[in-house]
Amino acid sequence: MRRLLAIAGFLAAIFASPWVTIICMGLLAFRYPAWEVLFIGMLTDFLWMPPGFFHPLPIFTIAGLILVWGLEPMRKEFLFS
Amino acid sequence: MNLYRQNNGPAGRWVPRFGRKRLFFATIFIIVLFIADAISGGKIRVLVRGIGSYVWGLGVSVQESIYGSGFLSARRGLLAENSALAGQIARLEERAAAYQVLKDENRALRQMLNVAGNLQGNNKKSGITAPIISSLRASPYGTFQVGAGSADSVSAGDLVLSAENFVIGRIAEADLHASLVREIFASGISTDAVIHGVAVAVEGQGGGNARTTMPRQSEVIIGDSVISPALGARAIGVVGNMSESSGSAYKSVNVYLPVNLSALQFVYIVRE
Repeated sequence: MRRLLAIAGFLAAIFASPWVTIICMGLLAFRYPAWEVLFIGMLTDFLWMPPGFFHPLPIFTIAGLILVWGLEPMRKEFLFS
Repeated sequence: MNLYRQNNGPAGRWVPRFGRKRLFFATIFIIVLFIADAISGGKIRVLVRGIGSYVWGLGVSVQESIYGSGFLSARRGLLAENSALAGQIARLEERAAAYQVLKDENRALRQMLNVAGNLQGNNKKSGITAPIISSLRASPYGTFQVGAGSADSVSAGDLVLSAENFVIGRIAEADLHASLVREIFASGISTDAVIHGVAVAVEGQGGGNARTTMPRQSEVIIGDSVISPALGARAIGVVGNMSESSGSAYKSVNVYLPVNLSALQFVYIVRE
């Protein structure tokens, strides 16, 4: 499941609406301590972000960081591993 | 029933084996990549865009070969018909809007005929046609890629136009053989424009839509063209609808780009 979600996330970053990408990232981060979330976020930003030093902000990388580290206590609480 | 929390106490404490460590190293790696990209002047993102564009092209060719083989032919027929009809509607809408723009322009030129004698025409500037080489809906930043770059004399700031001369966006970054285009109505982008003789700032909302406010007394009707003097007096959209409240001195005007972005295959790049 983790691999499927990760592949879906990577493909969504290239082909699908940003909502699909963020949903894949959210599902992955909700269930697993998935480093893939960070790479999906970074891929999205590197692919589509216009040039400029943090203007606009790399929102998908930031969202990935928030998801993987922000959901860490919850995963710990519910014994997901 | 044992109500003791299983993850309490040192013995039962949840200890990730590799997950957290991997997360930590991945985080460091991501930060290092961003710094390396900034230092190298965006070389990493150029590489990533190249790979992304290749994968997108591969996906499109796989999709075409599946459809071409006759598999899912009923669905394919309906989709093709739907797509053709949507394209036809979009083309007609664009032509109607372009006609309105030309009509407005003609009227304005007739009024100015006796005033200005030596206007510089926009058509004197040369341009090139470029294919779209990425998805038009996947970007959260209102961007897409075209298959022409600095090797084709494309540079940042050049205008990207539709077939009917509507401004779709500007070149944000030009690589060697591909360029990143930022849509003129990308979220957060503000463009100076004129609607029915009233100067406004049009705020992009994404998806080919924008919004602006105008004085309540302004005589604006649905379908009026939105011209941007900053973009060589070209049309950037048409008025979609308006809303006003009785207590406000302004009315909100929604503007849309009469171009079906998802059906676009080629764009015209004009050097600024």
